[in-house]
Amino acid sequence: MSDPSSLPTPPDPTGKRVLMIITTGPDEPDKSYAPFFTAALMAAMEIETTMFFMVHAPELLKKGAAEKIPLKQGGSLKHFVDMAIENGVRLLACAESIRDLCGLQPEDLLPEVKIIGAPTMADLVLDADAVLSF
Amino acid sequence: MATIFGCEIPEDRYYYIERSQMTWVKVEDGRVTIGATDPAQARAGRILFLRVKPVGTVRERGRPIATVESGKWAGPIIAPIGGTINEVNTEAEKEPSLLNSDPYGRGWVARMTPSAPEELALLLSGEAALAKFREVIVRDQIHCDRNPP
Repeated sequence: MSDPSSLPTPPDPTGKRVLMIITTGPDEPDKSYAPFFTAALMAAMEIETTMFFMVHAPELLKKGAAEKIPLKQGGSLKHFVDMAIENGVRLLACAESIRDLCGLQPEDLLPEVKIIGAPTMADLVLDADAVLSF
Repeated sequence: MATIFGCEIPEDRYYYIERSQMTWVKVEDGRVTIGATDPAQARAGRILFLRVKPVGTVRERGRPIATVESGKWAGPIIAPIGGTINEVNTEAEKEPSLLNSDPYGRGWVARMTPSAPEELALLLSGEAALAKFREVIVRDQIHCDRNPP
């Protein structure tokens, strides 16, 4: 993993913003990789792309968790998480879900993850050009 | 042509090897042609989608000039040097697997007129490039195959 401070800032020359809301956690590995892949692709297309993880989805962002999620096509989810981060996707996680549903502490999550509350999410939804739910 | 673990590396061009990027740059008549290298195409797997920024797009060094998608990778091709795109390989856009089958030939991606040709000095060539390729190919366990799954 690269030093997060050296990662590229999310590109925005298209002026478009997409917000993806992910609710599924490691219990459904088949549903885990498509959001990261889609986000990585959109970021590569210079769309400002944000993934917001709530309910059990923050568990995907726990340090060491993605490595333990095998994919049917081979490899692990980590490949896709790293790809999204490298392409400049912003990772946000729900403070309430982390605390109340996942039983995690902020320091349990990858250093690239920013924790926000529900009011901030509301702003993000209204600011986005499109919201995708997974 | 050098060969590292089955990956071909022509010695007549410059290379940009950073993060996910392993692109080549060839200087011809004041313009540069840019494409993905043999290890880059092998690591990505069969390329399913290529979209290049339109002719006339001005890009600084480090900004995307194209988007590539394979079954297991999606990402940008970054401008190794700044300039203006003045030719796009529309044949490769229609048939993206050309990046796999002929990465240094028909699978080129774009041609640019450099805005600051001195940026070529920031790229790798010769022994320095080969050493860097060797490091990445070993680290990522890349096995070059011009017809990847």
